[in-house]
Amino acid sequence: MSILYDEGQQAIASESRRILEAHVTTEALLPLLETQDAIFEPFWSIAKEQGWTAVALPEAYGGLGLGLIELGLVALQAGRSLSGAPFLTPSFGAARAILDHGDEALKQHWLPRLATGDAICAIAFAEGQQVIGRSLAFKDGKLGGTKPAVTGGTRADVAVVTASDGKEPILAVAELAGIERQAIDSFDNSRCAADLIFADTPATVLARGPAAEEAALHILALQAVITAHEQTGGAEKLLETARDYALTRRAFGQPIGAFQSVKHRIAEIYALVELARAGAVHAASREGQDDFIAAAAAARIQATDSYDTAARDCVQVHGGIGVTWEAGLHLHMRRARSLAIEQGNLFFWEDVLVDRLREKAA
Amino acid sequence: MSDIDIYRRKARAWLESVAPRFGRAARAGLSEEEDLALGRAYLRERFAAGYAGINWPIEFGGQGLGHIEKVAFETEEMPFGMPTAYFSISLGMPVPIIMRFCEDKAWVKERVLKALQGEEIWCQLFSEPAGGSDLAGLRTRAETDGNGWKINGQKVWTSWAQYSDYGVIVVRTDPTVPKHKGLTYFWVDMKAPGVTVRPIKLAGGDSHVNEVFFDDVKVGDDHRMSPVGGGFAVAMATLMIERYVATDSAGFGPHLDLFVALAEEAEINGRPAIEDGRIRQQIARNHAMRNSLDAITARAMKMMQAGMEPGPEGSLNKLVSVRSRQKLSELAIDLQGAAGLHFDAHAPVKQDWGASWINAPTGRIAGGADEMLLNTIAEKILGLPQDHRPDKGIPFNQIPA
Repeated sequence: MSILYDEGQQAIASESRRILEAHVTTEALLPLLETQDAIFEPFWSIAKEQGWTAVALPEAYGGLGLGLIELGLVALQAGRSLSGAPFLTPSFGAARAILDHGDEALKQHWLPRLATGDAICAIAFAEGQQVIGRSLAFKDGKLGGTKPAVTGGTRADVAVVTASDGKEPILAVAELAGIERQAIDSFDNSRCAADLIFADTPATVLARGPAAEEAALHILALQAVITAHEQTGGAEKLLETARDYALTRRAFGQPIGAFQSVKHRIAEIYALVELARAGAVHAASREGQDDFIAAAAAARIQATDSYDTAARDCVQVHGGIGVTWEAGLHLHMRRARSLAIEQGNLFFWEDVLVDRLREKAA
Repeated sequence: MSDIDIYRRKARAWLESVAPRFGRAARAGLSEEEDLALGRAYLRERFAAGYAGINWPIEFGGQGLGHIEKVAFETEEMPFGMPTAYFSISLGMPVPIIMRFCEDKAWVKERVLKALQGEEIWCQLFSEPAGGSDLAGLRTRAETDGNGWKINGQKVWTSWAQYSDYGVIVVRTDPTVPKHKGLTYFWVDMKAPGVTVRPIKLAGGDSHVNEVFFDDVKVGDDHRMSPVGGGFAVAMATLMIERYVATDSAGFGPHLDLFVALAEEAEINGRPAIEDGRIRQQIARNHAMRNSLDAITARAMKMMQAGMEPGPEGSLNKLVSVRSRQKLSELAIDLQGAAGLHFDAHAPVKQDWGASWINAPTGRIAGGADEMLLNTIAEKILGLPQDHRPDKGIPFNQIPA
């Protein structure tokens, strides 16, 4: 079943949208692309001030006690605006990892700081083409090895990592103070991607063996649902941008939106936006249910396809102006691709989904 | 459990109780005439059980419930494959429209009761050879004839006209004004002299649509359901009635589970098809899309339950689901290799990939072609401009042919 947003949820959506539209501009975001480790600082300040970092954490640890649905609403607006900092989703994912698998001392240590946004957390699972890699070595309470291209890696204070002790998979949390980081140049530099090089880095185990594998997938699924909202927001913004341009730009004596080749292309974006939204909202409403991973995978697949296609086609509708630096549509092209990879590519999620559909049928 | 859940559960229990006599298995091997007779019997029982005219007014013989109960029942009914297709147009549009636009209420009630029990069938005579998507371009004309009217012309794609007792029809009564303004709406007796119905065999081999010829067919002015020249508005009202219908994210084709089951058995180059990335990707993407369509439908139901108007995204279902069903059906035939050549033209489209494939194009054209649905989204939802229409504002008889 899906849900209808209540008044409180609608207020979260409209308020976060109002604030972001007032503060985040294309002009402010463009220079971030040309520098490593550059974020749009006002976005992160707003996120902290508005309590977005606390939305889905329990009140006992300084959170607001809301859930995926509400954080998803904020993420959707962040996606519309392109936000300007990548910390909201991984900090939530890591907080959930600590909340679900950490001991009380660990929770008391990290959760209040993650709730205020004073600490930033990264999720370091991927290793190259492995969405959940395990080549990071865990021995005697310490980590050794490299996690490449970790989103938020240039600035994270703490990371939740997947590793192996040589016998079984490990899910662990490690403070990153003093760790070596190598910022990388990506096509979406405000994602602050960096290689994290662990060397005798102390870490606390959150889960081992099959439980570690299950936990990692669950965290990724939670993040995929948040990201699906962000992708929906980006696609929605592109839909509106394409529509507005097609109404104003004239050629051959009429608005280009009067040509079916253009208006149908935009109508198809509308379909993709609504499919992405429906999948994301549905998945958010399934947390805690047996079909959550499948719902998250489905939302992830639809939203990724929707955002990529919306970016492609919105640029196409704009013609020449669409490929200029200043118009900034490439910000969405870039974000669509970075989000497509950050929570695991579609090859990964398609397999996750098909395996679950087979189990259900068997 | 909410009221609607209780309603659904009762409906399902009733459907299960009659399914052995009317469901898919009971229909297997029947001729169309036998199947239609079974359908009439099913409608009689459905009426007696209180599941007919669910959201229609009690004074006409309906149940006086809401759209949500109607959609809930239809959603429960669909998987059983009951013989309802012959009556779907009749009860979907013409009969609701006579309830709304015919003056003689006693006569209307008699028609409604007979239609609900499958005794009478109505058809909808809209499309013509020169006007399908462009409905207002129709050419069938009605001229005054004494106190009444005389109809001449041809309709096409008329579903179930061969079994129909009555029809609603839009005709041109004034060719000297712009096309939308010269139309008038009537009901006609399909058994009247001058009405000729000729079934059209479709690509799949079945003939549920017809050409209908009108040759000096006389109708009284009491058959008129709109002001003279006001027929287009009633035609639009007819098409709007079906806003709340049971949708099917499978595009009215086979469920994705059947594709998964096929892939579990099939091999590609000696390896299991279900392990093949090309197949897995299609399963995953089709599931994701259908999952979203189902979520849109579930949200629309919740909005109806809350007394709200469902959002326009409900209109996406047919556009998105039918064209993907078409491609998935092709892939399912491919998966079977040479065995995929076996074809049963009369197999149920929700069970059989060949029948689903050959009939899919109809679904993308009937009831609003994909291109018209995209136009509607672009114009009505997104506010994009109408297409250039060279016939706009020009008297019908001066439009270049």
